[in-house]
Amino acid sequence: MIPFVVLGAIGLILAIAILVANKYLHVEEDQSVETVTKLLPGYNCGACGFPGCSGFAEAIVEGRVEVLSNCKPGKEDINFQPILAFMREEKSEIAVKLKIKE
Amino acid sequence: MTTFILAILSSMLINNVILMQFLGICPFLGVSKKIKASIGMSLAVIFVMVLSSVITYPLYFYILKPLEIEYLDTICFILIIATLVQIVELIIKKVSKPLYKSLGIYLPLITTNCAILGVAQSNITQAENFFNAFTLALGTGLGFALVMVLFSAIREKLESCNIPKPFRGVPIALITAGILALAFMGLTGLI
Repeated sequence: MIPFVVLGAIGLILAIAILVANKYLHVEEDQSVETVTKLLPGYNCGACGFPGCSGFAEAIVEGRVEVLSNCKPGKEDINFQPILAFMREEKSEIAVKLKIKE
Repeated sequence: MTTFILAILSSMLINNVILMQFLGICPFLGVSKKIKASIGMSLAVIFVMVLSSVITYPLYFYILKPLEIEYLDTICFILIIATLVQIVELIIKKVSKPLYKSLGIYLPLITTNCAILGVAQSNITQAENFFNAFTLALGTGLGFALVMVLFSAIREKLESCNIPKPFRGVPIALITAGILALAFMGLTGLI
């Protein structure tokens, strides 16, 4: 009984600490990076040459990426096509140079 | 005062967490390519190490031990360390976005850094009192920072050297780390 109570209490206090910290330290972010990150496989393998999938997503949104197939685990129909469609819709000027294969 | 300085020096140089105890090798090899990233990572690790030791030491001796549930120490410590790392991540994201990006995935990996759990656990067996625990944690963190910055400086220098092709990248880094560990072994007779 006691171990459950102690662990539960510790978990609760820490959860409140994180909630409070999140409220005070919130940072406004461009939502498109998050959307593209969700469309990528999410393995954080680094094969694309960027630090993790969020790094690749940010590079795509900023226009530093020309070829999407650098992402080795990515599949054309579930990853690259939606990303291309999203970029063409939201960031059309940057998406001009973007393509899937070399 | 002298015992404070001696404790810091001994946990920093003689019983160095990376080169003598071989804990925390993951960020040691992963973040040490640039000096700026190493400094940022070291500060985060010192912060998490000291805070987690300050919280876990009283938790063990005033809550876990009297209630005879010492076996919960590993999971409780990990919970506290994970929360602290999450808060440090939020702070770094707010204060310096470039540093947050350059640390990348290695920042949440501080949670699984065995150096931090190692310090928390060794504080229970080896520290004499609370202040001693705090000193050991601070010294260990400073030792981590020292070796990280040294290693990243060497690695940055190696970038411009003419290294044989099969050794470039990680192999020469590992060899350098071994030589650095040998060098630090010479400090064992210091105190």
